[in-house]
Amino acid sequence: MTDHFQRLGLKAHVDLDVAALEARHRELALVHHPDRQTPGDAKARLRAAEETASLNEALKTLKDPVRRGVYLLKLHGVDLEKDEAGGSGKLPQGFLAEILDLREALEDARAAKDLEKVQTLARQIHERQAGTLESARAALRRLPAADAIAAATPLLAQLKYFTRFLEEVDAIEEEALG
Amino acid sequence: MAYSEKVVEHYENPRNVGTLDKNDPNVGTGLVGAPACGDVMRLQLKINDSGVIEDAKFKTFGCGSAIASSSLVTEWVKGKTVDEAGTITNQQVAKELALPPVKIHCSVLAEDAIKAAIADFKAKRAARTGQAAAPSAPSPQLHK
Repeated sequence: MTDHFQRLGLKAHVDLDVAALEARHRELALVHHPDRQTPGDAKARLRAAEETASLNEALKTLKDPVRRGVYLLKLHGVDLEKDEAGGSGKLPQGFLAEILDLREALEDARAAKDLEKVQTLARQIHERQAGTLESARAALRRLPAADAIAAATPLLAQLKYFTRFLEEVDAIEEEALG
Repeated sequence: MAYSEKVVEHYENPRNVGTLDKNDPNVGTGLVGAPACGDVMRLQLKINDSGVIEDAKFKTFGCGSAIASSSLVTEWVKGKTVDEAGTITNQQVAKELALPPVKIHCSVLAEDAIKAAIADFKAKRAARTGQAAAPSAPSPQLHK
């Protein structure tokens, strides 16, 4: 099976040039555009539509550094997307307690319509996200070493909780604007 | 994706949302998370000296299925003994709520939360009576 990196003609690596990734995607999306297939060839059109969907999925996954990291781990046998509570992405109780407290604080701020508090919490998470992402990337650069996988897994699992938190912040901000 | 009627019912009227005193020696706290969705669930059980669960509270930050799963198990565990509660499986939860395959992990979270809360309670009780924690109840809480 073609992976996302192969599909876009890139080396599977944590560091990639996002501008080059987007340029490559544009180029291939044009070639595989369903409207550019031989007129009347329904099969070619269908294949092109499938390839376009795969290209878009590859771009979405590789463009975002957290998604890219999670995907690299998956290529190395650790699938956080399928991870259960007790799986490889299991995090210490202290971390989960902290996330629960932060989500509670965010929920309270939402109920009180205290957007300033929401922003403060978001900044706090953004900062931690940046630091954790840096450590995760450092670990992923050492792939395929087994200890690199072991080091990157909990960091990427933490990043998933930060992403989730910031999605919630986005929803609150949209709600406030709406 | 449409939620089942039972999920919607629990989501709109969640049972037993709240907090029990985690420092109470009769309260076991289970804290679990699913990296797949980045959601967290806390389940607390108040267990009397005969080993019967007298009260249960939960707090879940997650999707409708995760909230419904935790709400349902708080109803199920009340009045049960610790051992009975420990036999509740995620399949039972998923079946009752008619969860689709992509939401099965929510029911797994609820099962793990019960097990973690029981393990926490047992560890507390063992510490109180000065016995070693039962090795048959592995839990993240035991590392503390």
